[in-house]
Amino acid sequence: MSKYLQVFKISFQQEFAYRLNFVMWRVRNVIQIFLVFYLWDAVFANPDRVVFGYDREKILTYVFGLLTVKALVLSARAMDIAGEISRGELSNYLLKPLNYFNYWITRDISSKALNLSFAIVETLILVIILKPPFFIQSNLLAILGFLVTISLAVFLFSLLLFIVSSLTFWMPEAGWGIHFLVTVVIVEFLSGALFPLDILPGSLQNALYFTPFPYLIFFPLQVYLGNIGGLEFIKGLSISVFWVVFLWFSMKAIWQKGLKEYQAYGR
Amino acid sequence: MAGKFFNISKRLILYLRIWLTMSRNSFMIYLNQKKILAIFLTGKILRFSFFVAFLYFLVVGSESLAGYSVNQTLFFFLTFSLIDSISQFLFREVYRFRTLVVTGDLDLILVKPINTLFRVLMGGADVIDLITLPPLFFAVWYVGIRLDPSTLQVFLYLLMILNGLFLATAFHIAVLALGIVTLEIDNTIMIYRDVTNLGRLPIDIYREPLRGILTYLIPVGVMITLPAKAFMGLVTPVGVFISFGLGIVVLSASLKVWGFALKKYSSASS
Repeated sequence: MSKYLQVFKISFQQEFAYRLNFVMWRVRNVIQIFLVFYLWDAVFANPDRVVFGYDREKILTYVFGLLTVKALVLSARAMDIAGEISRGELSNYLLKPLNYFNYWITRDISSKALNLSFAIVETLILVIILKPPFFIQSNLLAILGFLVTISLAVFLFSLLLFIVSSLTFWMPEAGWGIHFLVTVVIVEFLSGALFPLDILPGSLQNALYFTPFPYLIFFPLQVYLGNIGGLEFIKGLSISVFWVVFLWFSMKAIWQKGLKEYQAYGR
Repeated sequence: MAGKFFNISKRLILYLRIWLTMSRNSFMIYLNQKKILAIFLTGKILRFSFFVAFLYFLVVGSESLAGYSVNQTLFFFLTFSLIDSISQFLFREVYRFRTLVVTGDLDLILVKPINTLFRVLMGGADVIDLITLPPLFFAVWYVGIRLDPSTLQVFLYLLMILNGLFLATAFHIAVLALGIVTLEIDNTIMIYRDVTNLGRLPIDIYREPLRGILTYLIPVGVMITLPAKAFMGLVTPVGVFISFGLGIVVLSASLKVWGFALKKYSSASS
């Protein structure tokens, strides 16, 4: 346990070693929120308007919730695994008495902790500047549901990252390309990180709910907003748990197969 | 006079030939990695399609966006994509500039008998963006004719697109200059892209002071929104003339900044 604590500390310090890099990354997150905020602000220029089942208060809470939830779910260092495999640096870790998955989970937690603390400060500043109406959830069950779904989302994204990175065993040169396709393009749009998925036609939404993506951002935020409860919540939670279990076993199988393919190029 | 004109033409042809050679080399690198090319191309097409679908469903569901119809909103996005793709096609080399500075390999370019800025700005045209350009031109035309523009509006649009490209060039030069001074380029170029992404939608949707910043300070509005507005007949020829002036001033300023930054280059690590 203590070795992972050290990994956490070192990883945390490492983020500060490239301070400008980190600050720029956070600036980018804030700029992206501006686009989404003003877009919905324009749609809900009339405060009494209800569109796609949202009023102004709920949609702007969704937008600000994105900052925090993205920091918690999508901030991760594990995308560096692809580079380590393709450069043969994985060998260094295979020789050490440490679990590679736990090592990266620890690094991810450190990244999430740092990003989350910045996201909270940024949210507070943006709330003061933009003065959006805010929906504060008072239902304890909804808050509890939100925390559970967020935890599942964190696992889900870590597993997705691991699987996507593992593909580098077979395509060492395509590591960043696969990440771009899956974690940048597909996850950004299909998780609800850019817009709430319920603006899409019903049939498309129904199909999407069977994939793991909505459970990363959209589902937890809907639970917080109180738009999902009862049977719908149970159904979503079950699908989310199914994906965590399925991806866990898939990741283990892919990783084991990948290790047999691994040739430590560049070492 | 004729001799001077002849010399300039000769020089332009020489640089065109150098650019074609550098682009051919860059394309060959991409084409040798067909899997990677396919993955990035798929990613770009998906991202574009997702955003078009999102805008379509959003504006249809909410009836209009800041007073603009579905076709008008899509035209703003297509104009953004057009300027973005052309500048990425031309200036992809900027994304590789940091390595040259931190390793000192920029020395090898500085000693060559071609303009350094030309080499680091346009030395690696992106074949993926080149592939996406023809369908994008078609999409601009397809949505554009539904807005029923006059010949003057089309002419002003083309003029403003050219101005948008001037501004995009100026931004890329400024990023390169900043790269020499601060050694930081990866995030700077991404911030540039995030800021220009704000132009995916008409800047009318932003409130002050952001709208003012995007119009005058970081002229994303002039670069992206104004061409689309000119096409819709929402900009006067005087407005186009002023914007063009702004484009030329910003481009000249970026060249001055580049000259200043180059003097700060310390040839580290070499």
